Amino acid sequence: MTDFLINWIANIPGFAVPFALAALGLIITEKSGVLNLGAEGFMLMGAMAGAGAVIVMGGYPLLALVIAAAAAATLALVFATLTIGLRVNQVISGLLMVFLAQGLTSLIATQQGWTNKAFTGLGKLPLGPLKDIPVVGPILFNQDLIVYLTVPIFFIAAYVLTRTHVGLRLRAVGENPEAADAAGVNITLYRLAAVIIGAALVGLAGGYLTVVVAKIWVDGMAGGRGWIAIALVIFARWHPWRALAGALLFGCVEALIPRVAAAGIGVPQYFMLMLPYAVTLGVMVWTSLARSGASSEPSALGQPYVREERH
Amino acid sequence: MADETAGMAGPPKAHGLHRFRPRLEMRQTTSGLRTAAMIAAGLAVGLGLSALILVASGVRPGDLVNEFIVQIFASPKNISAVLVQAAPMIIVGLSASIAFKARFWNIGIEGQMIFGAIGATLVATFDIGPEGLRLPLMALAAALGGIAWIALPAVLKLRLGVNEIISTLLLNYVALNFLLHLLYGPWQDPVSAFPHSEQFEETERLAALGWQSLNASLIVALALTVLVTVALTASRVGYLLNFVHTNATMARAVGVPVVLLTLAAALGSGALSGLAGFTISAGIEYRMTQSFFIGYGFSGILIAFLARNNPIGATIVALFVAVLMVAGQSLQVFYQIPFAMVQLIQAIIVICVAASDFFIRHRVQWLTG
Repeated sequence: MTDFLINWIANIPGFAVPFALAALGLIITEKSGVLNLGAEGFMLMGAMAGAGAVIVMGGYPLLALVIAAAAAATLALVFATLTIGLRVNQVISGLLMVFLAQGLTSLIATQQGWTNKAFTGLGKLPLGPLKDIPVVGPILFNQDLIVYLTVPIFFIAAYVLTRTHVGLRLRAVGENPEAADAAGVNITLYRLAAVIIGAALVGLAGGYLTVVVAKIWVDGMAGGRGWIAIALVIFARWHPWRALAGALLFGCVEALIPRVAAAGIGVPQYFMLMLPYAVTLGVMVWTSLARSGASSEPSALGQPYVREERH
Repeated sequence: MADETAGMAGPPKAHGLHRFRPRLEMRQTTSGLRTAAMIAAGLAVGLGLSALILVASGVRPGDLVNEFIVQIFASPKNISAVLVQAAPMIIVGLSASIAFKARFWNIGIEGQMIFGAIGATLVATFDIGPEGLRLPLMALAAALGGIAWIALPAVLKLRLGVNEIISTLLLNYVALNFLLHLLYGPWQDPVSAFPHSEQFEETERLAALGWQSLNASLIVALALTVLVTVALTASRVGYLLNFVHTNATMARAVGVPVVLLTLAAALGSGALSGLAGFTISAGIEYRMTQSFFIGYGFSGILIAFLARNNPIGATIVALFVAVLMVAGQSLQVFYQIPFAMVQLIQAIIVICVAASDFFIRHRVQWLTG
């Protein structure tokens, strides 16, 4: 039983990281007032690019993760052109990104022969003697580099968002673009940067799925995790640390699925596979029932800004 | 855009800094001609980009015209293939249109199609009802299956404000896993032991119309088009839905039952998606397979968007999407181009048309000096 628990808990961070990074990216984007429903698409893009990069370069998994983030950021230029430049409905633009990425990733991977091709990805990075500490060692000190980096990334993002002038301006752009514009903040620039940085983080989350977790690319392998990340942002009420907590919760659920089957518990496998989606829905219902706490949903979320329409 | 050069700190400097920057103006009215010209330009750019991608994937430019136009419209076999393909496409286009009309973002069309097909297959497999009534019962069960699968997100949105985009989408994954559970478990075909349901009997299939492969699913789709058109354009409900679409706050203020109308539109959308699942199972595949729904949710949303939620427009756009699907199938056979290309082309064309909307709604002036 203890073995089961330790084994389960030690696997949670790896499952939580994609949710955490993607949710953080979405929070940054949405703080600027741009609603990004394309997360699933950016994640697919990152996952495919990461896998392709490892296969082509024959290794260098860390560089592949950078490429994964860059690929998603490149796709985000299309999204930014639509939403910020051309003021296209942000719901439609986000969905279009998902559809575009589904087609594009499947097409590129098939034509390049990357589909279903296993490779050696990023391995674990045990922290010397620390990993031999009973219980705590395997849980905290026998993870991969990205797991260790996730907490500092959250620190930096939370600090920049809440404690710096750049963060203040970013939030002003999402709360009240008219006022921010009048105060001399460049709305277009801030939104563009927020969309690109956000998409890069979602792409990194996607790259993590292929380069670190699965070590293979399969069509559509984000499997709804982008959508779950969007739900996580609502659950977290746009607070980075709450999003990290939520990601750990989903990590728990996902890490449990293969273990229940292995433990021989008689739940039909397809019902187990429904679990993450059902839990997400449950969390969303719970979030709206408990809508008492302070939400920092940006007031101008989803609304294009046209200076000439200022009131 | 040039105003990126504006200072990031402090108030904007003198306008001399903006050497060359766009100034947007919302158009109060746009002539029909300008709208048509802009949409045509968007379509042209989208088609051009798609053609470039196809050529880059190894299709000879000359074959492009051949595959997409000559081959499709020169042979009765291909025309009927397009029409057969169009039937479920039309129905999902109507489904999305009716939901979007009430500003209910139904992204769960595929999940509702799955439950529609499950309803129809339940009636067919267990021979429920007299043989003469079997098909209507299957259609009814499909509509109810679709309604059942959208009811929860609809109620959650209207009662608790749970975002329906995410809830309907999440339920797609739940429905897919339930479908796989049935097909790899209790409903697996006992004859072939493949993961699909057993074949429907003759009385459980939509009748052939006697020309090529055409069958009654096209008639079902056209009848639904008429029904939805009447409901949306010539009925009191349609009038009120237009009101809700334009300004829900105002509609609520003057006593329009907004919640009830939204619920009705959502459930109607679910019923239509369920029926789309029925037409594929009973009209094309004659059984429930594990991938029959793939891509339809996506296409339905894009069709409704391009047709601006107009049912007749949706029918026309659906026909074009069906042409694209049939051409895509032949590209797959003759050029080994993956079917994802069809999805990519759809997305590119819609992105270009969506972008053209900017030039319909805005007037751009370039300020200099």
